[in-house]
Amino acid sequence: MNRLDKLAEASVRSVARRTSRRSLLASLGALLVGGAAVPLLPIARGAEPPAKGAARNGGADDKAAAKAAALQDPQSCEYWRHCAIDGYLCGCCGGSQHSCPPGTEMSAVTWVGTCHNPVDGLDYVVSYNDCCGKSTCGRCLCNRNERDTPIYIPFQSNDYNWCSGSSKGNVAYHCSTARIVGQAR
Amino acid sequence: MRPALLWLVACTLAAAVRAYEPEVNYMLQCMGCHTPDGSGEPGRVPSIRDTILPFARVAAGRRYLVQVPGAAQSTLSDAELAAVLNWMIVELGHGTPQAFAPFTAAEIAEYRRTPLIDVRSERERLLALTH
Repeated sequence: MNRLDKLAEASVRSVARRTSRRSLLASLGALLVGGAAVPLLPIARGAEPPAKGAARNGGADDKAAAKAAALQDPQSCEYWRHCAIDGYLCGCCGGSQHSCPPGTEMSAVTWVGTCHNPVDGLDYVVSYNDCCGKSTCGRCLCNRNERDTPIYIPFQSNDYNWCSGSSKGNVAYHCSTARIVGQAR
Repeated sequence: MRPALLWLVACTLAAAVRAYEPEVNYMLQCMGCHTPDGSGEPGRVPSIRDTILPFARVAAGRRYLVQVPGAAQSTLSDAELAAVLNWMIVELGHGTPQAFAPFTAAEIAEYRRTPLIDVRSERERLLALTH
């Protein structure tokens, strides 16, 4: 036992005599920094989806990617065609952005505006025909009012229930579509 | 001002006032109620398809077409309103360019400032006059 104690003491003392305390910090530090640097080595980052790689700059690219995705999602208020919509999206109510859900009828009388498509950089004329004949859908309420006028300029106001123009008495408002009817040139 | 600066101001003004083709102005200002082909909604919005050309061929009818609230109170300029009406007469009313005198901005300006109070009875009177 005494011999084992002496062996241990001798080896610890020799280590203490040969190395400084700072060298431990230095090697630990090198390990930490080196370990963190390994994932940064030039490997095929381009193959990753952009949203993942964006975490390095505080998620700013994540937000931009989410916004870009919403611009193309017909069930989002941020969808580019919805720039002047005021109502429930028919795409969330059993229909789509250009068709009415079953059991409702599209109003012929409607509100028309223009929206900018960021993908091709062109402006389009969008007709927001309401779907009528059932009570309000209640899902995906969007209220974006680009170029909407106050109600005292009625021809360009989206605050009306356009179902009231129906001659068949289908005045109950259900949801709104966003149909492209032309290019705004 | 230097010519370059003038040019810049002119470009800014031109960009601020977006000018659309008559067809697009019809879509934005008229189509919501009159529907894409001008046939309207029976009982609510009268069709303009059979009436716009006969109205454009008589003086009282021309005044009516400009003075109806949707035309007179639209956000279009006099020249734009003239272009939209001329486009509608040809495209929706099947009028050939020889069949009517095109509206000018000056004619629009002359009629537009006078409001039309009783639209419905004026329309009935014109229908009896032209049909």
